[in-house]
Amino acid sequence: MSMGDKTMNAGSGAVTETGAGRTQPGWSKRLAVQPLFMCGFRPFFLLTALYAVLVLLAWAGFLGVDLAVPAVAGGPFVWHAHELMFGFGLAAVAGFVLTAVPEFTATPPFAPRVAVRFVLLWLAARVAFWMSGGLAAVAGGWLGVADGLPAAEWIGHLPAALLNIGFACALLVAVAPRLWRDPERRQLGFLWGLAAMAAAVAGFHLDVLRGEYPMRWVLAGLGVMMTLVVVAMSRISMRVMNDALDAERARRLPAHTLRHDEEAELELPSYRARPPRRNLAIAAIAGYTVAEFLLPGSPITAWLGLGAAAAVFNLLNDWHVGRALFTRWAFLLYAVYWLLALGYLLLGLSHLGAPLAPSAGTHLLAIGAMGLSILAVLCIAGRTHAGYPLDERPWVGVAAASIAIAAVLRAASGLPDVPVPALQLLAALAWILAFALAAWRLGVLFVVARVDGGAGCEEYHEPGAAEASLR
Amino acid sequence: MILLRAWLAGLPAYLWSGWGAIASLCLLLAAWEAVSLVYGPLVMPDPRAAFATLWGLIDSGAAWPELAATARRALSGYALSVIAGSVLGLIAGLSMTASMMSRPLVTVLMGTPPIAWLVLAMLWFGASDGTPVFTVFVASFPVIFIGALQGTRTLDNQLHGMAEAFRLPRRMMIIDVYLPHVVSYLFPAWIAALGTAWKVVVMAELLATQDGVGAALAVSRSHLDTAATMAWIAAVVGLLLAVEYLGLEPIKREVERWREQGA
Repeated sequence: MSMGDKTMNAGSGAVTETGAGRTQPGWSKRLAVQPLFMCGFRPFFLLTALYAVLVLLAWAGFLGVDLAVPAVAGGPFVWHAHELMFGFGLAAVAGFVLTAVPEFTATPPFAPRVAVRFVLLWLAARVAFWMSGGLAAVAGGWLGVADGLPAAEWIGHLPAALLNIGFACALLVAVAPRLWRDPERRQLGFLWGLAAMAAAVAGFHLDVLRGEYPMRWVLAGLGVMMTLVVVAMSRISMRVMNDALDAERARRLPAHTLRHDEEAELELPSYRARPPRRNLAIAAIAGYTVAEFLLPGSPITAWLGLGAAAAVFNLLNDWHVGRALFTRWAFLLYAVYWLLALGYLLLGLSHLGAPLAPSAGTHLLAIGAMGLSILAVLCIAGRTHAGYPLDERPWVGVAAASIAIAAVLRAASGLPDVPVPALQLLAALAWILAFALAAWRLGVLFVVARVDGGAGCEEYHEPGAAEASLR
Repeated sequence: MILLRAWLAGLPAYLWSGWGAIASLCLLLAAWEAVSLVYGPLVMPDPRAAFATLWGLIDSGAAWPELAATARRALSGYALSVIAGSVLGLIAGLSMTASMMSRPLVTVLMGTPPIAWLVLAMLWFGASDGTPVFTVFVASFPVIFIGALQGTRTLDNQLHGMAEAFRLPRRMMIIDVYLPHVVSYLFPAWIAALGTAWKVVVMAELLATQDGVGAALAVSRSHLDTAATMAWIAAVVGLLLAVEYLGLEPIKREVERWREQGA
């Protein structure tokens, strides 16, 4: 597989050919020179936002007016869960790692045609899964329905299984060598996370092929996603929090004393995402995920869920640094951890017998922690790597608040004696609003060439930054 | 006063850092749950059953007299050992000869198992409060004595010399030079001794008295009531942890802070 090769991307026109005798179709080459494929995150972050809207529109139709969703093995809930976890979620992960791994490991960026191939594979996986029910029906017609039903389902699901597992594995194969060869191997957390994610995808589809109900693998995938969120957020948060603290220091000191760095340093602590606390949180989440998989609904799982909640709350010790926390980007990331902790708290309580459905906690994690962290990554990594400064316009606040509201509404629908359909429909609409805004406000940047003259993934640099650091 | 204000200011952050401990304790509860699932409720009731029993004991008012009796005995023995241990330890620390002489004695005291003292105490004091109080006193005295001794022995002679050179008033000398140093040794010893006292008193009560948590444990054992046993254990451990981590540990950090800054 040549997806992992380190072809230097020299900009718009220069797509290096691998192997002399190989002919590439012209359309794929033409696709690769589009600005959309300049860097791996661009197509995937756009698809992430668009797909979030599309899946939830279909789901809102199903909940509200009984519109059919694509028939897949396991039923509509499996479709909903799989597409949001392994479609939407994995697209965001793909965009993130295709951009961040070269940066973190100081290796050359992935060439545009790598992005093209991944996007095509992802789209094919989506189409195959959506059509798997239809394909099974066609196969059933050929085989004669009487005794051929399991076989027909098997045939119908096979393309979806191959393409989805293929996508997750290809992603792992593409970034694994770089993560592994990194001298200090500081980014191995991503490698284990991606490997576990690929295992969850494979487990899901193998369960379907064996005729079993595959939902437990979606929950496992959600747990893996939560650990990836903690790992990825620690990388982003260092930057965001210390920027916020710097701004706070500058605000406290009159301009003419700005030179006395030491005094300012003494006043405010600097923020460090400390590994011990992070590792405890990751281990606690992993422990809960394994327990939930092996012993669903057991009180052991419940205590581990409460432990995971406490471990995530423990992570917030690093974050309590005063007013700087209440700036836009710092608070956005901070809210992700709260939703993460509260999600595990609700899961633990529901397994202990509290009168609420486990799906309340699951959705606080999936909508709240996953959705909000993906929005944060889209906004922060997406904009800076597209050559723009962080977005200070109000839509970010509206989108983030919508996701938080969606998470709370969906979680509330798991309480006893509430109007469940209305709450779920409202939650779906809030989610659609958030990601429609993101698709519009960020998508317009991703489909056009960079305005700062950049031709790849390089980050935005403040025009005055160089002089400021010299001062 | 300054100490109190610093303590209050650091309290939210300190309390929040308790989440890490809660996470570990949840792991312990999960392990407890697993043991009870494997071996059944007769061997090990599950945590919820134990906590429900505890809640029942508290709710019915049955828990308070027992806990009060236990606390009374533990605290009287502890108070005696704090006074005697601190005073004697400080005095012994002042003299090289005294500290040399007292060390082996303290080693003997520490090496004697509390259960041996308990047997002696039962012979001497019978089934009265004297038995647990004495056992607690003997068990926690050497811990405090050693702490006080170390505190005085390690006083910095150079600081003493400097304070003399500056003709520091005697009051300032004691409060600003000696006291912080000695307290930074004494305080951890007090905390360690409190833990010892609290554990030893339950053991003494189990064998020697008709009331208190230890006696309640003896009753639940004879009834093969594991849920009540775990409930009492949870109550005793919970109380100790609460007193230690909500009350004493923050003060200890405050008291010891100058040492970290110096290092």
